[in-house]
Amino acid sequence: MTVTVILVLVGLLALAGLLVLAKGHVGSTANVENLTEQLRSVDVEAFRNLVDPGEEQFLRANLPGSEFRKIQRERMLAAIEYVSCAARNGAILTRVGDAARHSPEPSMAAAGEKLVDTAIRLRLYAFHAMATLYLGLVLPGVRISPVGIAESYEQMTRLVVLLGCFQHAPQGVAAAL
Amino acid sequence: MLSLDYLRTYLWTAPHLLQAILLVLLIRRVFYKQFPIFLSYIGFEVLQFVVLFVMLRSRSVSGGEYYYAFALGSVASASLRFGVIYEVFTHVFRNYPALGGVGSALFRWTAVLLLLLALCLAWLAPGEGTGHLMVMIDVLNRSVSVLQCGLLLFLFLFSGYFALSWRSYVFGIALGLGIYASLDLAIASIRSQIEPRETSLLNDMMMGTGFACLLIWMFYLLAPEREAQLASKELPTHDLETWNQELQRLIQK
Repeated sequence: MTVTVILVLVGLLALAGLLVLAKGHVGSTANVENLTEQLRSVDVEAFRNLVDPGEEQFLRANLPGSEFRKIQRERMLAAIEYVSCAARNGAILTRVGDAARHSPEPSMAAAGEKLVDTAIRLRLYAFHAMATLYLGLVLPGVRISPVGIAESYEQMTRLVVLLGCFQHAPQGVAAAL
Repeated sequence: MLSLDYLRTYLWTAPHLLQAILLVLLIRRVFYKQFPIFLSYIGFEVLQFVVLFVMLRSRSVSGGEYYYAFALGSVASASLRFGVIYEVFTHVFRNYPALGGVGSALFRWTAVLLLLLALCLAWLAPGEGTGHLMVMIDVLNRSVSVLQCGLLLFLFLFSGYFALSWRSYVFGIALGLGIYASLDLAIASIRSQIEPRETSLLNDMMMGTGFACLLIWMFYLLAPEREAQLASKELPTHDLETWNQELQRLIQK
């Protein structure tokens, strides 16, 4: 009987979850026009600095153990904030890229395609990086190196810029490339 | 009592009539090229209804024969629903090659884990009641619903995390199927633990759910597709440094 009650509750919760997720999907489709207003600037250099193994090595060598763990924990929290912000931008730009790849202008459609691809890779890296950073937060002594995220973010930013160029002067930029 | 009988007949007949109409409309729109399994599922549901309806009205068909036909139909219908979920999965992911490998692997592993969970549940709560065949069908339905509900939740969560866009009809098919699977999970769980003659209210609820899901499918499949357009104000202009670097790179070329 207990299993039955649990299954009934799971079924009802799954229904509620599906409806919430579906509502989110419908809302996200409706608000494509206001997407870029939600983008937030990310300082990639500051992020690189936070996850730089050399920097960590320096702090480890020059600070007492307890002090190092405290500072490292704060550095990890800041890095998590950067990664989640970059990942959020990635999600927004996936949708912007999706809209761009339906453009009748071939160069813009191609840039949109690349943007979607890069933004998705960024989300994949971000997922991995978040797990690594949380591990670093729980165990400050463990070495972490969330590779790929900074490079991927920079590549994505470049693609957004190119997309902007295509949008405003498609022929000129295509020729320049 | 008579009006309740009419309601039941209506709840059983009306969705299948609508399914037949939907089938014709989708065939006319050449939808079978994109969603052959979904169309087969709708076609099978209509066919199953016709066969069961004729068997129920026929005096030469015994109750046992009817229930065997019903059980076979339920198994085939559940299998086709798995096919439809796979079809939705391939449609969502085919536009995102970067996710192809990861998505497929995660989808497979989720299916394996859910299958193990469903088997554990079948072992822990094997079902009660005197109607052996009906109890077996309910336990099977419950296991199938655990799998289908879990796979659809995974699909929605995964595509939500990566902000993947769905064609509206693909979304409609998944939503309808998800609502059906989650309510079927709750209802089949109760039904597997009680006597078959006490299940009429639950059967009515399930038929009502099927009707509602069909209306969702009709809404999404027959409504015109809305494409997202990139407005000129959309692209960010605040990242001036990156703009500058990129322009310099272009000029140097």
